[in-house]
Amino acid sequence: MTLSDTWRKLPRPLRIVLGRLPMVIPQMFGVIFVTFMLARLLPGDPALLMLGNMATEESIANLRAQLGLDGTLWQQFAHYMLQVLHGDLGISLFTSNPVATDLMERAPATLELVFYSMLLTVLIAVTVSVVAVVRPRGVADYFSRVYGLAAGAIPDFWVGLLLIFLFFSTLGIAAAPFGRIDPLVTPPPAVTGFYTFDSLIAGDLSAFRSSAGRLVLPVITLTIVNAGALMKMTKTTFAEIWRSDFIRHQRASGLPSRWLVRNALRNSLPPIITLVGFLVGFLLGAAVLVETIFSWGGLGQYAVQAVTYSDYPALQGFVLVAAVFILVVYLVVDILYELADPRIET
Amino acid sequence: MMKTLADFPAFVLRRPAALLGLALLLVQAAAILFAPLLATHSPIEANPLASLQPPSAEHWLGTDVSGMDIYSRIIFATRINLLISVIAVAVAFVIGVPVGLVVGYRRGWASTLVMRIFDFIQSFPVFVLGMALVSVMGQEIWNVAIVLAILFTPIFARLVRAEALSLRDRPFIAAARCSGATDAAIMFRHILPNALGSSIVQVSISIGMAILLTAGLSFIGAGVRMPIPEWGLMVSTGSQQMILGIWWVALFPGLAIVFSVLSFALMADAARDYLDPRGERSR
Amino acid sequence: MTADTPLLEVENLSVAYGDRTVLHDITLSLRPDEVLGIVGETGAGKSVLARAMLDLLPGGGRVTGGRIRVGGRDLATLPEPERRALRGGTVALIGTDAKSLLDPVRTVGAQVADVLRAHRRLGAAEAKAQAIELFAKVGIVDPEKRAEASPHQLSGGMAQRVVIAMALIAEPSVILADDATLGLDATIQVQVLDLLVARCRELGMGAVIITHDLGIVARYCDRVEIMRDGRIVEEAPTARFLSAPATPYGAELLGAARARPAPMARAAAKGATERPLVEVVNLVKHFTTGSGHVVRAVDDVSFAIPAGETLALVGESGSGKTTVGQCLARLLDSDGGAVLFRDRDMLGLPEKAFRPLRRDIQMVFQEPYVALNPRWTVERLVGEPLGLDPEMAGAEARRARVREMLELTRLPARLAEAYPHELTAGEQKRVGMARALATRPAFVVFDEPTTALDIRVRAQIIDLVRELQREMRLSTLFITHDLNSVRSLAHSVAVMRHGRIVEMGETERIFAAPSHDYTRMLLGAELPIERYTAA
Repeated sequence: MTLSDTWRKLPRPLRIVLGRLPMVIPQMFGVIFVTFMLARLLPGDPALLMLGNMATEESIANLRAQLGLDGTLWQQFAHYMLQVLHGDLGISLFTSNPVATDLMERAPATLELVFYSMLLTVLIAVTVSVVAVVRPRGVADYFSRVYGLAAGAIPDFWVGLLLIFLFFSTLGIAAAPFGRIDPLVTPPPAVTGFYTFDSLIAGDLSAFRSSAGRLVLPVITLTIVNAGALMKMTKTTFAEIWRSDFIRHQRASGLPSRWLVRNALRNSLPPIITLVGFLVGFLLGAAVLVETIFSWGGLGQYAVQAVTYSDYPALQGFVLVAAVFILVVYLVVDILYELADPRIET
Repeated sequence: MMKTLADFPAFVLRRPAALLGLALLLVQAAAILFAPLLATHSPIEANPLASLQPPSAEHWLGTDVSGMDIYSRIIFATRINLLISVIAVAVAFVIGVPVGLVVGYRRGWASTLVMRIFDFIQSFPVFVLGMALVSVMGQEIWNVAIVLAILFTPIFARLVRAEALSLRDRPFIAAARCSGATDAAIMFRHILPNALGSSIVQVSISIGMAILLTAGLSFIGAGVRMPIPEWGLMVSTGSQQMILGIWWVALFPGLAIVFSVLSFALMADAARDYLDPRGERSR
Repeated sequence: MTADTPLLEVENLSVAYGDRTVLHDITLSLRPDEVLGIVGETGAGKSVLARAMLDLLPGGGRVTGGRIRVGGRDLATLPEPERRALRGGTVALIGTDAKSLLDPVRTVGAQVADVLRAHRRLGAAEAKAQAIELFAKVGIVDPEKRAEASPHQLSGGMAQRVVIAMALIAEPSVILADDATLGLDATIQVQVLDLLVARCRELGMGAVIITHDLGIVARYCDRVEIMRDGRIVEEAPTARFLSAPATPYGAELLGAARARPAPMARAAAKGATERPLVEVVNLVKHFTTGSGHVVRAVDDVSFAIPAGETLALVGESGSGKTTVGQCLARLLDSDGGAVLFRDRDMLGLPEKAFRPLRRDIQMVFQEPYVALNPRWTVERLVGEPLGLDPEMAGAEARRARVREMLELTRLPARLAEAYPHELTAGEQKRVGMARALATRPAFVVFDEPTTALDIRVRAQIIDLVRELQREMRLSTLFITHDLNSVRSLAHSVAVMRHGRIVEMGETERIFAAPSHDYTRMLLGAELPIERYTAA
């Protein structure tokens, strides 16, 4: 009783955060289990597969011991989990570096791409859908209908290629699709890992111009593919609320249209937050394709290399990091969702 | 509210967008059935002498780097892409729907556990998990289909479960129980027919998703392999040339993907509007 | 404007949706200090009329003729900013289901303050202070604290008061109440309407009360307009209408709103030794809420129903009356007590052993439409319970029984092939009854059979139940909050509150001399038109 009373006295945001955190533990456990099982799905001896055909008896035996392959499945899992908890994701067969180091190095590149794409996606999707609902049969309404259908049908990698062909190869107005920054420009010293932020922090305008220019095409590619889904859903949600009794009542009470839009948008927030979270996961997958096309040098390109060269520790590490990243995103989304909706009991 | 499947064709014929979707579907059906007749060249025969030729009377859509005829490959790829997608979605539907129904109707720890597992599968980014699974299981057509089925089953289960959960407490279920209906009768005669609408729409959407995923996987080399004709793989072989201004190798198979996915998206939209009384009235 | 300019004038107004005209040539006016009632059944066009007065016709409706003047100014000639200022500023609307009219994610105080700020140049704090002041005047206890609440934390009656505050805050001259108290408990309804009308009179506002309940008109309105199919068919001062309606339709409505004569003599003679058909002994049902609180929905309830008799279980929402019915039909598992049917306890039976008993124990559900599977035809719906009857195994026998049931409930045989959404509310209700009666049960639970029905349909359903009582010698538990139907149907009455029966007795005795305070309060909140027509 006293415990629950103390709980009630906590501010609601804190209750929401504390209520959510414990759920992460079994999920993390599950993620590690799945990535562990991934390696077990490989036909044959993982050690042999990981070392390739050049392996000697001795190196295989060493690796087996190192991977803990000699015990039972559960012992192996415990071994793997301990390693993961210590930040040890194994050694990449392709780069010969620790996988964890490789991933840390490449993560900012991917995050910068995802960050700007998400920003642009939300901006475009929410604006267009609000205008489309408030002015039915207008330009925005028509555009969102056609685009909503088409966007879901376009493969991201193909859009990227078309954009390169059009704006780089043919018109020559876009930056080259080779990496995050011009090779002649020195990257800014790392603070956040985002070249655009870091170059501004360092006051290096040429680095900023180059890195921002390189971002344009990949960000547009991801946004084109992504914004359709968010636009469709935002439009549906917003339209439903726009037609709802309470907005109609606010209109009948003489509230100005701008207030109505604001209030309806505030009510559409929870589902938008959820979809944005889901789209971050989707973007991570799309980044794998887009990074390959633009030689971005991020996590996605690393994953493709891993697939191409059967670099299983690297692949396993990538899946683990991606899944953990998504779990964190979902956690934040859940918390924001509950904050945005006072009806949820906490 | 009450719609029968028999009215659907008439509904489609009244809507230009749905009609376009239907036409595109028929084109694909023709490509699948009559591929050998429609193709002008062998889809898998390399011809180094005819490498990277632009579209011409001989090669309608040009040739790729190994001199294969792009038009013929696109036609034959329809078989591979739709086969993988339709099988994957069919399996996911057949497993997901009954599981979702039972899990939605019956409370208890087993239901909770099943849903937690599904939640968990869905918490992975689809493409990342698909890529990892296919590359460890081996890059074969069947494995791609199996992996897609695994990824899609939770979608159907969740949809049906959500419907079943909301239907379960509706008065007409209580009324059926009063009329002596058993649990099985309530699940399959009362709940299932009312819960299926969103899943039917989802079938069409999922086939589109499956086509995109298959293409994406093949594009990065984690799907089917050369020389099998597959749209994503074909775009991939043209991706290097695109930067050099050789556009036809990647452009046409990409268009095939767009039209194919679009046809399923249009049908899904038509089905959704058809099943949703509100959507129709606004027209 | 001068003192006798009508606040609101509607002149030959016609409204159409596409080719369909829904309002024909409506003319009416509202004088200062007047309370006008507009009465009509579903589809009469009452709500469209209310919306037209604010120039907010829903879903593509347009005015095809006539005009609306507010304070002497023609709505159609006003520029949009002035029309906006007029909504809520001069004419305020109160709609049905207050909870749905409030923004779910904002505090109610801020919402009321918003309306004021939309009409006056005011700071947020000052507007909030005025809102809180008004909250106290509309009977909201602890207004400062309530102002910080979200709508989901309020009861229906409290939410309705907030909506009334929203309507009053900008001091309009006309209040439109469109079925404002629909769905509220009778005691709350009376409180809310008393308050609304008192405030209107006090502030010199005019009010238009749109309703389908003649009792409300009788109690509150000075004048009444009777609407039917988009036309006004009768207009009269309320007292004159109640004593001598001028049109046949008006007379028909009035007749339908009256209680039926007292039920026929009791089936069994007093003091007969026959055991009751159904006996409920110390029934208990608990619910555990999400936050872990245990709610005693049914708390030690006992009653008995003799063969061929009807017991009415009355009470307001949350009293537990519906839960009792669901426990009797075994739709809910009970937590204690016994239900004896023909002297056999049926609560202890496993579901399998109970199923054959369902043939004799049936239920008619509250909301007619949602209690019918939308994908089944009437024939299939009515025939479903026949699976419980071994004699009804043949398709032919079943079909014959279904036809018989449709006839019994006065449904045309052609409806057998119809789906629920193709039926009117009254027909849906009849299908629900046909279905419950198909196995010729001995005992039927009627859950709110007259709720949400139009006046005339309600009267027809009451007549039908009376006939069935007589023809089939049914025993029924009649769960309702509609006291009018209780007078017409029940042999005895049990009054429930907070899960307990506070008073039980013969119908005439309860209505004539209630002994419990709560019963007196319930009876006091009823708005029977007899009180006004008898005079």
